[in-house]
Amino acid sequence: MEMSKSIKRNKAISPVKAILYMILILLALIYLLPLLWMLMVSVKTNSEVLTSPFSLPEVLQLGNYIFAWTNGNLGTASLNSLIVCGISLVISLLIGSMAAFAIARMKWKLANPAMSYFLIGMMVPVHCVLIPLFVRFSGLHLTNSLVGLIIPYTTLSLPMTIFLMVGFFKGMPKEMFEATCIDGCSIYGCFTKIALPLAKNGLFVAGLMTFVGNWNELLLAMVFISDPAKKTLPVTLTYFVGPYAVNYVQMFAAIIIAIAPTIVVYCIFSNQIVDGLTAGAVKG
Amino acid sequence: MERILRDKKAITIFVAPAFLLFTLILFIPILQVVYYSLCDYNALTKPEFVGIKNYIDLFTADATMRTALKNSIFFMIFSAVTQQIFGLLLAVILTNIKKGRNFFKNIYYLPCVLSSAALGLLWAFMFNPKMGLNQILDFFGIKGPLWLSSTSGFVTLPMWVIAFVALWQYLGQTMMLYMAQITGISPELYEASYIDGTSRAKAFRFITLPLIKPMLITTLSLNCIGSLKFFDLVYNMTQGGPNHTTEVLATHLYNQGFKYSKYGYASAISIVLLGLCLIVTFIINKTIKAEVYEA
Repeated sequence: MEMSKSIKRNKAISPVKAILYMILILLALIYLLPLLWMLMVSVKTNSEVLTSPFSLPEVLQLGNYIFAWTNGNLGTASLNSLIVCGISLVISLLIGSMAAFAIARMKWKLANPAMSYFLIGMMVPVHCVLIPLFVRFSGLHLTNSLVGLIIPYTTLSLPMTIFLMVGFFKGMPKEMFEATCIDGCSIYGCFTKIALPLAKNGLFVAGLMTFVGNWNELLLAMVFISDPAKKTLPVTLTYFVGPYAVNYVQMFAAIIIAIAPTIVVYCIFSNQIVDGLTAGAVKG
Repeated sequence: MERILRDKKAITIFVAPAFLLFTLILFIPILQVVYYSLCDYNALTKPEFVGIKNYIDLFTADATMRTALKNSIFFMIFSAVTQQIFGLLLAVILTNIKKGRNFFKNIYYLPCVLSSAALGLLWAFMFNPKMGLNQILDFFGIKGPLWLSSTSGFVTLPMWVIAFVALWQYLGQTMMLYMAQITGISPELYEASYIDGTSRAKAFRFITLPLIKPMLITTLSLNCIGSLKFFDLVYNMTQGGPNHTTEVLATHLYNQGFKYSKYGYASAISIVLLGLCLIVTFIINKTIKAEVYEA
């Protein structure tokens, strides 16, 4: 299978290579066609979907999008998702890298136990804390509020953030911190002026994993939020679930509105995103 | 310098927020869930200690739990096997071509960043009895099966369909992880072996495979735990139906806990889930770590 390492390198495409490319293209179609089909259905009428599935729509039914946007509350939902994920991202990066800095660079006896403690969190599925959290949060009137989502999202992102950032801080040269400290900079200055800016890549990777994970999170949001004005994007889409969901055109319009921003961002930054998420998972 | 790095006050300030949040939101709730699982507890009453009654009910009197357990384990085995085989295969193919490598890689990875709630709805349409895939089959004069509502067989057809969709969505991740590991192998190793007359198949068997073994632990853990936790796709494609035949642990937990408000009972399900995750992680680490090679 080690094609490029093959000693003979012909200019002409070998049959093996042709077959490999065929497989890759076929697979790419399995990935892209459903998404394209969805796009096509979203601008048809419901009866067109049934009677002429493969033809282009006679009239572009852009009304589907307007219906999905207003009836599905997608505007509110997108805003909610953005607020929840944005704030969780900032807080978890900040306090996660603070803890990581203390664990990686400062000298205290409990640094290693503290690290292990945080790492336990990576193995715990969110399902396990759902019930106690729900009971506690309803008592505190934190269900049906965005704050009630931001707190668990931030917490659940911490283990991964701390793990990644410890790796990045440990990789920095010791002399840099010593020089700064000799210059009379406090430990807080060391952290904000030296460590954080140097760990930019780490922050990017951790932030990406946090944001993508929280943006798509369904279970917790579904349990905690029942007020339509507070729902996040994945929860809003479940409106369309169920045996009576026959309104595919508007459902697909809603899905496309929901995933289009992700796809656009992905297309622009795909290499950084794929590499970043992979780096995160490799270290995790 | 030493003094600054041992500054107890600074350490406390740095660690305290994360520690407090983590303890309050994750650690204490885990202890609570263990306690709740031993209680008779619903939304209206206070938790009342009943010992292991919930667990006994779970394993002796709950047919849905048996289905859920069977389906979750099927999911785990299916996704571990298929992800490993196809993920590694794709990674090997993609690391060996130059033209279009990034293009294909990015396409296969795309569904990993999309919401599985949205993709679940899309695939529910694709496997609709009258639409999607069956329209294509109809075009060729074949009558397609009832993909998502068939109930026959030990592992029912809808479970295979959902497992396929999960494979479709997350294959890119396994592939990417293996690609990262394979591109990290020094090319000199291969060159040396080719000079010695090693065949490509042998080089793969004796160089590539041993050197990507550490990644086997990561990907296998991700595959297994990911599929045990599975919720979004099942919920949006079948909602556990028809007649609970596609229920998995997470949907069963959700229904018991939040549809019927049986908190104690649902807590017992989450302990079973947590236990399975820990056991699987333990087994993977114990059986594979024994023979990790120095890269």
